[in-house]
Amino acid sequence: MQAITIFHPQSVSEVIQILKSHPGLCLFLAGGTDLLPDLRKRKKETHFLIDINRIPELHQIQVEEDQVIIGAAVTFAEIHQHPLIQERVTMLAEAALSVGALPLQNSATWVGNLVQAMPAADGAIAALALEAEVQIHSANGTEWRKVETLFQSAGVSAIDPSQQFISCVRFSLPQTSWGGAWQRLGRRSALTLPILNCAVKLEIESEIISHAVIALGPVAPIPTRARSAEHYLIGKTFDEQIVQQAALLAQAESHPRSNILRASAQYRKSVIPVLVRRALQTAWERAHQTSYINN
Amino acid sequence: MPIQFTLNHHIVTVNSHPLTPLLDVLRNELNLTGTKQGCDYEGECGACTVLLDGKAIRSCLTPIACVEGREVITIEGLSIGETLHPLQEAFIETGAVQCGFCTPGMILSAKALLDRTPNPTPQQIIHALEGNLCRCTGYVKITEAVQQAAAVLRGEHLSNSTSAARDYRPLSGNGMRFDSFEKVTGKAKYAEDYRIPDMLHMKVGRSPYFHARLLNLQTEAAQKMPGVIQIITAEDIPGENGFELYSVAEPILPRIGETVRMRGAPLYLVIAESEEIAQAAIQQVECELQPLPHTLDVNEALSPNFPIIAGDSNILSSFEIKYGDLEQAFAASDLVLESRHETAFLEHAALEREALVGYIDEEGRITVVGGNHQPHNQQRYIANALGLPIEKVRVITPYTGGSFGGKQDPWPFTAVGLAVYHTRRPVRLVFTRQESFDASPKRHPYSVHYQIGATKNGNLTGIKVRIHSNTGGYDSGGFYIPNYALTAAGGAYRWQAVDGLAQSIYTNGPKAGQFRGFGTAQSTFALECALDELTVKLNIDPLHFRLQNCLQDGQTSFLGYPLAETIGYQRVLEEMRPHYLKFITEAEEFNQNNSATPFRRGVGLAGMWYRFGKAGSLKIEAHAELACDGHFVVYASAPDYGQGTQTAISQIAAESLGVDRALVEFINADTAKVPNSDIQGASRALYFVGGAVQKAVTTLKNAILGIAAELLDTPVEHLTLDDAEVCTDEQPSRRISLAIVAKEFDRIGKSRRVAEWFDLSDRVLLNQQIEYAPFFVTGAHLADVQVDLETGLVQVFRVVAVHDVGRAANPTDAIGQIEGAIVMGLGAALMEEFIPGVTTGFSSYQIPTFGAIPDIKVILVEVPSRYGPFGVKGLGEAAMLPSTPAIINGISRAIGQRIYSIPATPEKVLNAIQQR
Repeated sequence: MQAITIFHPQSVSEVIQILKSHPGLCLFLAGGTDLLPDLRKRKKETHFLIDINRIPELHQIQVEEDQVIIGAAVTFAEIHQHPLIQERVTMLAEAALSVGALPLQNSATWVGNLVQAMPAADGAIAALALEAEVQIHSANGTEWRKVETLFQSAGVSAIDPSQQFISCVRFSLPQTSWGGAWQRLGRRSALTLPILNCAVKLEIESEIISHAVIALGPVAPIPTRARSAEHYLIGKTFDEQIVQQAALLAQAESHPRSNILRASAQYRKSVIPVLVRRALQTAWERAHQTSYINN
Repeated sequence: MPIQFTLNHHIVTVNSHPLTPLLDVLRNELNLTGTKQGCDYEGECGACTVLLDGKAIRSCLTPIACVEGREVITIEGLSIGETLHPLQEAFIETGAVQCGFCTPGMILSAKALLDRTPNPTPQQIIHALEGNLCRCTGYVKITEAVQQAAAVLRGEHLSNSTSAARDYRPLSGNGMRFDSFEKVTGKAKYAEDYRIPDMLHMKVGRSPYFHARLLNLQTEAAQKMPGVIQIITAEDIPGENGFELYSVAEPILPRIGETVRMRGAPLYLVIAESEEIAQAAIQQVECELQPLPHTLDVNEALSPNFPIIAGDSNILSSFEIKYGDLEQAFAASDLVLESRHETAFLEHAALEREALVGYIDEEGRITVVGGNHQPHNQQRYIANALGLPIEKVRVITPYTGGSFGGKQDPWPFTAVGLAVYHTRRPVRLVFTRQESFDASPKRHPYSVHYQIGATKNGNLTGIKVRIHSNTGGYDSGGFYIPNYALTAAGGAYRWQAVDGLAQSIYTNGPKAGQFRGFGTAQSTFALECALDELTVKLNIDPLHFRLQNCLQDGQTSFLGYPLAETIGYQRVLEEMRPHYLKFITEAEEFNQNNSATPFRRGVGLAGMWYRFGKAGSLKIEAHAELACDGHFVVYASAPDYGQGTQTAISQIAAESLGVDRALVEFINADTAKVPNSDIQGASRALYFVGGAVQKAVTTLKNAILGIAAELLDTPVEHLTLDDAEVCTDEQPSRRISLAIVAKEFDRIGKSRRVAEWFDLSDRVLLNQQIEYAPFFVTGAHLADVQVDLETGLVQVFRVVAVHDVGRAANPTDAIGQIEGAIVMGLGAALMEEFIPGVTTGFSSYQIPTFGAIPDIKVILVEVPSRYGPFGVKGLGEAAMLPSTPAIINGISRAIGQRIYSIPATPEKVLNAIQQR
């Protein structure tokens, strides 16, 4: 194995220091479940790793009245085991449960999933639906960026880890009644990449949809929102015809590819409206449950 | 930089490279080999699971740097001295341990669960364990073990086992596997766990092409690299470069000018001080390959203009069955159903890859240790390759982490033999998971074309069947596949006329060889689905139909002659009846109540017959010995790769002797120590090897009683064995120890070791046409499946499996084997498909996980065999046959359309649905 230096910073500012003193050289180590295979296969190479696991604030899940902040070292298992996430952001717990299997969820992180930038990354699809943002630190300072700006192309992140560090993910909890839902189709129930996944968020005011987000993967090179379907739903009430129309709109703006191990483009295309419809149905029902009802 | 952490409650310090996976630190630096590697460090199999701060993690994906200051528990840390953790005990007691390779990881995942959730729901158990793959057990007994351990940990009184096994008495009264202790503690050493001083490592140079000619091979540059000891090519094979008896025209290594016919075909062997050096040397070998036209498709290979891959016009072998007047039979039919069925290449996917170590033993023999099905055969292939007399070679069978036929391949054995021969040092060969996928034998894909005739009231008339079997680039034991394909193609039914032809065709797919069922699973799938379609078209009940046509003892079978063993098919079907009726009623009710939902239930029924006992000799040898201290030693060859022969054979011996099983030692599958009991295949071990063992111990017992009669001055009829003593029935106090009897043997110069043969050759007339003895077992499965009509997703909710086992020698293990076979059949039915060059590991080739398992009920029927010891019949392979067609029939009935090709992926099912 090549010689390697692993830094174990204890604060975010230390991380920035290391990035400054070793510009363009470092990669990050969180759970390592993507990094180790990538290093083994020479997809990635480095002599410097920054291990973020000893920074206490990165392990925190903060569930506040109007927002949730999840640190970069938080694992998928910690997310889906958190009672408030289970209760109030069920869709995120469901997405976290979909990743691989429990022993992988015990190590893998949401931020790690985002920077791997796969078109159907479960964490990315959920993040899109939640309209999440990430906090990025670099030598130039700190900024918040929407999750959808993180993906350049299939497997290619817009983030350069040798210069930029993501410390947390944040999403707001709607102040009106809302519901989220998660749908995933795979050849088996665990340890399987998705044929399709879909995350949905509906916000409702007086039984009218005031805001809708529909995220789908893999229907394009990057995790994608079905925007025309989303726009269609705004101002509408919820009935079978409207849901079906939204589902068909989502289908029309999706361009899945064939994958010999998962499914053909044609199959994926034909089940998109099924998953979208089911997700919208669940989201609507959840919006009427107490943990989601506001005002 | 030193890294310190707590390991199994002790503080340890290691000086590893910080990115070394924890798995490697444990296995290589700390010599704790209980944690296993199964999937090329991709985190896909769970064999490497350990606890980190109480949570289950993949030690193959965890860099040691991340473990600093934390707490690790491995399987070695679970028990305290000889006191096992309740999980370990429960795994042993419930029969949840078969090959044992997944067991350490599985137990630790379960421990993490129970530590957090003392009273887990079935869903919680699934979620916690779903990341751990198992290929042997079907996960059912593992679930039972977790629930049992949870109850014990909660301090609850264990309720009586509800296992079906409790209705049967295991032979010798004790069915608990005695090697489970080693497996649940991580003490069992598999080939990859052996640590031999001075050991070298072998890597194999392989062809990346489906079809190519080897033009040139220059190894000098690689040979010069530091740490490279030897590079072996075809020129370095002193004896036979092939496996003539086993695989037609398959070289061990290709000569210059020869073709290599599959992706991953071996080219040369590199032996070096480490795997890394060997792998680096491969980059330095200059190998010139000329790609040739290739095909993976049987029809293309058979087309007149396609180049020859091998064999006679790319045909490896053919087999026919023909009798009766088919034209007349079809003319007399009210319906002749025509159907075509397709199956895929399948991979055994045993949790342990191919792993072998070789060395020169204390007698100067080239010795190879590795999982196999027949050590004497492997011995012969090695000796042939090295040009050595057979006594100069030894093969030992270690703990083996599953095989299902894959480890019958002689190639790894000859490769290791060559390496030891040339280097004179110990050598280790471990396939990567990718290599195991690319280069180890597969199950043959079939195209099956049927024409089946029947009258309108459901009597079968004639059958015409044509089968193409894709044997890939090499024979690899596939020569006889057409015989098996045809044999299974007619089932345990009565036919008036038969016209069958099966052929094994060469393509440039992976070499297809032995895989559980050996060519019978695919035709059983086709037959039982075709029969189901027939009953739908005739509008008759599929169970009634099978009963109507089922073969009885003495009747002419599909093969054209009656069978030599009892056939319990009618019993099997009758046992199935109440469950069948219940499932049908419930499915109808569900469909009526849920017609507005996208879900539909279907009930699928499938039967099977399976010829057990296989080829060649009906005369099998075993030895039995009275040891000096008065215990019994049995010598035979019945390799145990998880199916439990090590225990079951001991049970047969103990039962035959009438002694406690603890008095029986079974020396198994070491060519230096045991006679050649022929192959462990075709589920023959209990019947043939068990039969030979029974004869041997019986002869020994008679000799013992004869000598004891002299010593006790009592007629032999009044003597009996009472564990380690011989006693008289009239005067129980009058007895002597077997140790004393043993001394007497020695004194009078009588050997304490007897050889016996189980010989059926005079009792079973072999038909000249058919080379194999006509012993068959039967069974049937019932599957309750649900289909999502909008996505094509299939869930199998319940399975009832009825099997005639003759006599349940080890009921718990019989049930465990059936459960595992059901899940393996489910994989073939729904998700497994090997695509050369594409499926290279566990992430791309999907086998069933915990979440896939249905509720399984197993019913053992005992229609004793005529000749087998205690009436046993074969089971392990047969158990798989009805599983796939039962599920496929269930899907077909749920959606009202037939499925003709497996795997029935959601896409295929949705396509079938949308055709209506």
